Amino acid sequence: MITLAEITDVTGEPGNFQVEVTRRPRFVDTEKCIACGLCAEKCPKKVDDEYNEKISKRKAVYIPYAQAVPQKYAIDADNCIYLKSGKCGACEKFCPAGAINFEDKPQTVNLNVGAIILSPGFAAFDPTGIRTWGYGEFKNVITAMEMERILSASGPTEGHLVRPSDKKEVKRIAFIQCVGSRDLNKSRNGYCSSVCCTYAIKQAMMAKDHVKDLEASIFFMDMRTHGKEFERYYERAKGLGIEFKRCRVHSLEPVSETSDIYFRYIDDCGRQLETQYDLVVLSVGLCTPPSAMELAYHAGVELNENRFVESSSFDPVATSRPGVFSCGAFSGPKDIPQTVMEASAAAADATRLLAGARNSLTRTKEFPPEIEVASDEVRIGVFICHCGTNIAGVIDVERLARYAETLPNVAHVGRNLFTCSQDTQDIIKNAIRDKGLNRVVVAACTPRTHEPLFRETLKSAGLNEYLFDMANIRNQDSWVHAAEPERATEKAMDLVRMSVAKVGLLTPLPSISVPVNQAALVIGGGISGMVSALELADHGFHVSLVEKANVLGGQARHLFRTWKGELIEPALQELDARVRSNPLITLHLESTVGSAEGFVGNFKSTIVRGKDSRVVEHGATIIATGGQGYVPEGEYLFGTSSRVFTAIEFDKLRMVGDRRMKQAKNYVFIQCVGSRCEERMYCSRVCCTHSVQAAIELKESSPAGEVFVLYRDMRTYGQREELYRKAREKGVVFIHYEAHQMPKVRPLEPRRLEVEVFDHILHEPLRIVTDIVVLATAITPNAATAELADIYKLPVDADGFFQEAHAKLRPVDFAADGIFMAGLAHCPKPVDESIAQAKAAAGRAVSVLAGSSIDLEATKATVVNANCDGCAMCLDVCPYKAISLVSEEEAGGKRNARVEVNLAQCKGCGLCQATCPKDGIYVAGFSLEQIAAQVEAALAG
Amino acid sequence: MSEQVKGSVLIAGGGIAGMQAALDAANSGFYVYLLERRAAIGGKMAQLDKTFPTNDCAM
Amino acid sequence: MSFEPKIIGFTCNWCSYAAADLAGVSRMQYPHNVRLVRVMCSGMVHPRVVSQAFEMGADGVLVMG
Repeated sequence: MITLAEITDVTGEPGNFQVEVTRRPRFVDTEKCIACGLCAEKCPKKVDDEYNEKISKRKAVYIPYAQAVPQKYAIDADNCIYLKSGKCGACEKFCPAGAINFEDKPQTVNLNVGAIILSPGFAAFDPTGIRTWGYGEFKNVITAMEMERILSASGPTEGHLVRPSDKKEVKRIAFIQCVGSRDLNKSRNGYCSSVCCTYAIKQAMMAKDHVKDLEASIFFMDMRTHGKEFERYYERAKGLGIEFKRCRVHSLEPVSETSDIYFRYIDDCGRQLETQYDLVVLSVGLCTPPSAMELAYHAGVELNENRFVESSSFDPVATSRPGVFSCGAFSGPKDIPQTVMEASAAAADATRLLAGARNSLTRTKEFPPEIEVASDEVRIGVFICHCGTNIAGVIDVERLARYAETLPNVAHVGRNLFTCSQDTQDIIKNAIRDKGLNRVVVAACTPRTHEPLFRETLKSAGLNEYLFDMANIRNQDSWVHAAEPERATEKAMDLVRMSVAKVGLLTPLPSISVPVNQAALVIGGGISGMVSALELADHGFHVSLVEKANVLGGQARHLFRTWKGELIEPALQELDARVRSNPLITLHLESTVGSAEGFVGNFKSTIVRGKDSRVVEHGATIIATGGQGYVPEGEYLFGTSSRVFTAIEFDKLRMVGDRRMKQAKNYVFIQCVGSRCEERMYCSRVCCTHSVQAAIELKESSPAGEVFVLYRDMRTYGQREELYRKAREKGVVFIHYEAHQMPKVRPLEPRRLEVEVFDHILHEPLRIVTDIVVLATAITPNAATAELADIYKLPVDADGFFQEAHAKLRPVDFAADGIFMAGLAHCPKPVDESIAQAKAAAGRAVSVLAGSSIDLEATKATVVNANCDGCAMCLDVCPYKAISLVSEEEAGGKRNARVEVNLAQCKGCGLCQATCPKDGIYVAGFSLEQIAAQVEAALAG
Repeated sequence: MSEQVKGSVLIAGGGIAGMQAALDAANSGFYVYLLERRAAIGGKMAQLDKTFPTNDCAM
Repeated sequence: MSFEPKIIGFTCNWCSYAAADLAGVSRMQYPHNVRLVRVMCSGMVHPRVVSQAFEMGADGVLVMG
């Protein structure tokens, strides 16, 4: 990791680039800095803190934020008094570690790498100086990034929603959407920033959480909640009483006496209205910062007119320069899950080029040999985390520490501002060494996120990683008893006592690893499945590709063009040919997966083709089984009239030159057919763009014809917005309708239909005579989803799509290790995003397959041979079939039966432990004795 | 394409995208240089309070 | 003084313990009387441990999973 560094030149070719990196001086030696903060305390120079969006101050020597990595200070040369004038040097005088180095100079580092990934991110649009919003002029008009910091418990107001001018608690708040997006007048950004609608909803919700009777309004043009689960989120916000006003805001003016903001707007009925708010938040868009444009220049990568990296839909993370990839908001505005998918895809594509050099430059982490502690006297170290103020703001940590010192076997107690920080790991390691600790308790957040980190610390101190326990005094204490500090402290004392009681009984557990079968199974031969299979094969792994139809291509076979206008069919044909000719891909057409067993590294799936079935063994699984188009159930005369089609039928008929299409002049598109309704409370993401694109083509081929699009919210997100603008310029008529006033379609005369829609501007029903009605139908899950969910025991969401492990951070992983998803089986998405996810899924699978073995948790069922008499009751309850019965001959010729555990299959659930009547089996680290000790300690207070 | 292929990847930008790419590339057996323009990695996401639609903490 | 029950909760690492964490993330406030014991599955809690908890003075036991 190299901080304060930028690329200044790239030469060479894919596989072997020479990169010149310029490192700005930090003026703090990171080897010596112990992050004690004395330098910042003594520094006399106050500077606007950019982490808190300049709402608060930091010093000229600073750490960017509390959890920063690396946890090291830096001097801001633009503001340091010493570096500017040669006077001061307070930090140098007071630094106990001698880490300040004013002589630090810029350095040029030359790196030799095989591939480059660019992920410089975005900058929030700066609305300063634009008259309409008065930002920078009126104190109570802020940007969403400032709002984000104000809402944060670790922010400048500690999460209290007060306004900047007079610190008054906010009672009425307004959000203005599309600030610096979809606007070529006040900004240069014609595109939609894609994330602001949902983040405004989030901020409004969080704000209401902070101030109970808060009135919150969101002023928007189209509400674009097109992501997975976003529509439900929008509905929830409406249910919470957040007001959504579809309108254009005309101007903001301060109400002089009170510093409230006076608001003028025109509502969707064309009425001019006025109101007043305490605080106005501008939902600023995303744009490429100058530093990222510099990066593009130095890396030799071209940007488009929106200043984003231009890429093909079929190669979404590639750039104009081979061997250089991009991901995240650098290639267009997008949300976190999409960014994470692209990041995994970029890693997959970058390393695909270098597959031959895998493991050539990496080193495995070496840990010191384990110290033998089993027979030693128990010496426990307790480390109490303040978590900034998250814990210390509620719990009396000093009292807790004093109490911990009195507990049996506790040899050391320490307190840390952030126990998870890098320097605290060193503190823990040193304490283990210096105080001879052989058990460690950390009282902090939750083991679910931080146990792995601390275990690693134990390992690097030479202690077995299982001699550890966490007391959850944040998530399950300070956060849930914030109003009762006394009670929370007592509870923390109990929790620490419970952990101390347990950890004293823990014994070292040996590490377990299982071999990995370095092959993959990809289920689904649509565009996602094909891309995943090829990516894996290019990385050098064998792939079995299963497709239930007798052809490859899936839903993409019905599609005409991507939103960027690329033809889909030729791309599909090329993929098809590459899949069929790749020697590492075994294709199973007209096949399905009938059953499966196993776990990460070692799956066995049965592929069924007619009456034949065969078992394939594989280390990783990708599920890309797609979705299907919603078939309208009689809505809008579908199925009755021969002139009402779904969007896919419409594309097909136009492609084959159907007579109805040739003769038609007028077209009406109806959006959200089967989407955003009670049965399917989600947006299908692709339909708005498709209708707009089709409407443009119709207008271009016959400008005299009339094309209408009836929509609820036009969701041409990201750079797709340009299509919407173009369609309006071409004269396509867009009419908004509400869910409670759905359009009606009636037969009029032979070959003609009448569509009635309530026009909000005219305030009366509008009747349109048309030749063709096109229904923008939903994308729904298909039958394979439920079947595979059953076979691989995978979760599906409320809409019937597969549920990822984490909505933001793990959008391609299942919670179960070694299984990944891509494409429509996850949620509705267009071709480019399916391909990005398919590459990401392959990349994630490569990270499983790259090693020849995987380390497993040592928390496994363990048989007590002396107690087990082979009654086999545990065999029946084990959900993973990990236990088997064995018999062995004793010295006297007597046969002895007992059970045995397959450690790779055992998940450590302990059903066996609860079933065994003779204490013949227990789960290491969770034995009944250890659990009982915790209960006893809990009740001892 | 070079004949002398290096088993290393340079990633410019240490936000959520760069971090994820770095983890994936490293876990797949490649040496990673993660470059960050600022004094610490984390990017914009580290500035966010909560994330939609689950309202999970962004940190 | 009013009765303050002592409740022991056995919570599964994958669901109810995670839910208790999430309650914290959402800043839900609840009574302080319950002490949670993390287990890898609620199924590992032997009935004997439940009766032991009562013997040791628990007023209530929750097994959540």
